[in-house]
Amino acid sequence: MQEEIMSLKNEAMAQIMEAKTEEELEALRISYLGKNGKLTELIKKIKDVPAEKKGQVGASINDAKNTLLTALAERKTKIGISVRVWFDPTIPGIQPEVGHLHLVTQAIEEISNVFNHLGFSRVRYPEVDWDWFAFSALNFPDNHPARDDWETFFIDTPESKEYGRMLLTPHTSNGQVREMLRVKIPPIRMINITKCYRRQMDISHTPMFHQFEGLVVDKDISVVNLKGTIDYFAKTFFGPERVTRLRPYHFQFTEPSFEVDISCGICNGRGCKLCKEGWLELGGSGMVHPNVLRAGKIDPNKYSGFAFGWGIERTYMMKAGINIPDLRMLYSSDLKYLRQF
Amino acid sequence: MDILIPDTWLRDYLITKATPRELEKYLSLCGPSVERVTGTGINTVYSIEVTTNRVDSASIYGIAREANAILPKFGIKTTLKKYSSPINIPSANKVNYLTAIVDPKLCYRFSAILIKNVKIAESPKRIKDLLTLSGVRPINNVVDISNFIMAELGQPIHTFDYDKIVGAKMILRESRKGEKVTTLDNKKFVLGGGDIVIEDGSGKLIDLAGIMGGKNSAIDENTKNVLLFVQTYNPVNIRRTSMSLAQRTDAAVLFEKGLDPEAVSLGIVRGIQLFKDLTGGTPEKTLLDIYPDPVKTRSLSLDLDFISNKIGVPITKIEVTSSLTALGFGIKWFGNKLTVTTPSFRANDITIPEDIVEEVARIYGYHNLPNVLMTGSIPPFAPDTTFDFEYKIKTILKGYGGVEVYTYSLVPKNYITGKALRLINPLGEDTEYLRTSFMPSLVAATRENSGEKNKYHLFELTNEYLPKTKDLPEERLTLAGVFSGYNFRNAKGIVAALLAELNINVTFVIEDAEFFKPNQRVIINSGKTTIGEFGVLETDNLFYYEFSVRGLKNTCKGKSYIPIPKYPAQIEDLTIILPQQTKIGEVINTMTLIDKRIASVSLKDIFKDAFTFQISYQDLGKTLTNEEVEVLRNKVMATVKTKFGGNIKG
Repeated sequence: MQEEIMSLKNEAMAQIMEAKTEEELEALRISYLGKNGKLTELIKKIKDVPAEKKGQVGASINDAKNTLLTALAERKTKIGISVRVWFDPTIPGIQPEVGHLHLVTQAIEEISNVFNHLGFSRVRYPEVDWDWFAFSALNFPDNHPARDDWETFFIDTPESKEYGRMLLTPHTSNGQVREMLRVKIPPIRMINITKCYRRQMDISHTPMFHQFEGLVVDKDISVVNLKGTIDYFAKTFFGPERVTRLRPYHFQFTEPSFEVDISCGICNGRGCKLCKEGWLELGGSGMVHPNVLRAGKIDPNKYSGFAFGWGIERTYMMKAGINIPDLRMLYSSDLKYLRQF
Repeated sequence: MDILIPDTWLRDYLITKATPRELEKYLSLCGPSVERVTGTGINTVYSIEVTTNRVDSASIYGIAREANAILPKFGIKTTLKKYSSPINIPSANKVNYLTAIVDPKLCYRFSAILIKNVKIAESPKRIKDLLTLSGVRPINNVVDISNFIMAELGQPIHTFDYDKIVGAKMILRESRKGEKVTTLDNKKFVLGGGDIVIEDGSGKLIDLAGIMGGKNSAIDENTKNVLLFVQTYNPVNIRRTSMSLAQRTDAAVLFEKGLDPEAVSLGIVRGIQLFKDLTGGTPEKTLLDIYPDPVKTRSLSLDLDFISNKIGVPITKIEVTSSLTALGFGIKWFGNKLTVTTPSFRANDITIPEDIVEEVARIYGYHNLPNVLMTGSIPPFAPDTTFDFEYKIKTILKGYGGVEVYTYSLVPKNYITGKALRLINPLGEDTEYLRTSFMPSLVAATRENSGEKNKYHLFELTNEYLPKTKDLPEERLTLAGVFSGYNFRNAKGIVAALLAELNINVTFVIEDAEFFKPNQRVIINSGKTTIGEFGVLETDNLFYYEFSVRGLKNTCKGKSYIPIPKYPAQIEDLTIILPQQTKIGEVINTMTLIDKRIASVSLKDIFKDAFTFQISYQDLGKTLTNEEVEVLRNKVMATVKTKFGGNIKG
């Protein structure tokens, strides 16, 4: 039996080595290892071998089988290499037509995701609004310059007795009191993202732009919560290496008010042409003025809050290093620009 | 407002060893922002942004006062030199050298003094150098004195040629509409009324007060006697005049923010001294000072816990006291309660306890506060929003090659049909109206790309503004898109694929409308509701579509599992010759409705008048036999023949 196995193995090896095509190899595999192959037939005979030799014979057959399988595979590879066919894998693939989301959409999505994680509820309050929501309720005095015709766009329509003139909101802050009136009882965590309008047009201003307004109102909200939220946003959105600082500032609807700066990503805070002594201005923020809470029918003795309202475009430009030299380009429909993002 | 503060001038009032870099950093953290530092050594200049509520710090002295409160918190010693003058001169509300009739609603404090025998000459070098560093061109000693005091104290000063004031008489009043004045820069203005002006004894206007002096009373090389003039005006009138005449002078920018009337006496005394020193002039013995209603200091009461709770960390009484005292506030403790008295220069700015919190907090230092996220409960999300849905639509269209644009919602008149909101004060005719449709904007967007060789698809998803009576407009969220260079079927296919992806079942119904070629527009219905339109525009060979986002959202169904049929469908292609002008949509609809076992019919190919349809026959209960399929096929053929005149090919 042992000899039979050995000679069958040698015979098969010799034929495998001489095989020229994959078809020949397949035929050899079937004739030795197939269902009725020669080696398979030997395996079937194991049952007749005396018990004390069964182990040895079994091992030999197994060894022969593995040797043949390896030889078949090796020979197959060798044949493959020698009969390589011409093929050009460097030819370009056919790409599907690729569309593009606008930079502002991408920015809004990223920004709202960050606040989503902190439990902020996204809303969209009117772009065309009454003076009351945009100014009076936000503690702007009657004669405040922002109400001038040269700063805010006004609509040619009769005034409302209750709410004053109709205008294009110059900031998303008109959503503050609207959100308070909607929610009625705090907690409030709002992120209002919408279009805003101001009467200016130059390389760093477009008359239409987007802002995102955060508003938090609850019991015991203090400056440290505002700092915590802004720092969380900055580190998530801009990267953990960036730092923020608050500078004293002035807004009608917050007290205290702050300007938020972020360390310049270009010079890492050392100071360069693009920044102010190492800092870039992100935007305004502050603790909600008690008169604003009152306008929203919330008791300032029970609740306090903070708010911030920043430009989407400006904020995104600071992140991505997109380097658009003229912000008016953002609202161009030129495909040569749109297809870049 | 931005001001330039030369370091060396600042140190006239602020005695400190702080370096410019330290001043820059610490001022920004706790007070006015230092935007930039330029120059070195004696030429160092800070560019500082002063917020509108802090006009009291818009000067050399104002910044020195802030720095004096801030720097010690960083362990840097300072001493503030008082802004004063050795001159002591009595004042009266009537003087013999000038008759003044003043409207107290327009001018809160009116002070003036005659200075005789002035010699006009160049100013000394240091004065010229300091002015130059602050961005002001030196002219002559008289003009320079005004500019010098304005920079140093933040109080504008004016000088008249006394001999040009007819009758030594001034009437300060509101202008009447149509009155004319020529300012000393030779500009002629016709006034709108309500401007603050001064009329002399001859009835002519000699000053556009708070903005710029009149040409006819200006100092010239022959001036001998000067009237030194220091006022505070009603800021509202000043702002209105300055903006409507586009005269944004430094004086106007200061006056419109509401200046401290108490600073008037500092300004005029400093002026007298400088006139004596620089021009050799002799001042009159009595100062004219009309100040009927002096500024009252305000008292605010609050307690220590209020301050700590608003800031978010415990603040000590010592910290409160030292911050507020350094800033010029008066302070009295009663246990943990305190009463704070505001200095005159903060009277407009500090009105509620929160203002005091701000003063304590900024001097304590925002940088010293920890970052702490809120711990309270998270409110429920606002109901019925479309944000995720909008983003889904956009990403689907992007996937089909769409390019998103943002065009202006403000459009010219020729973009408007029907009623639209108009701006009273647009920047120009191109942005006068709020749009009520996207079509003109998107057509314009394609014209921006007239050089584009390849086909493209632009889309936009945002609001249009539909006017309502006596109410805010409806801001209707709309999806619109335009295809250029596409063929009709590819364009319509993208719209259909979007609807399929949103799982919205629709029917297309031909309905003509303005701007579309006749017979080439369909409205898109879901059930009985029209949710959009699609068609061929009259101009530019474009295909245009528009949907109400709300309509899409309301008809968009969530996907649910449909059991996979147990038995195979029989699928075959039928090529049918159809007469010209057959509507294929109708053919397919008809075929689909013949029998419920016709699971789907789709158009596979077109060759001349031969249309190949792929039909799928499916019975959920069993495998259809060839005979059963044949019966169905014959039914299809018979219907197509009788209804459309179609014949099977071959």
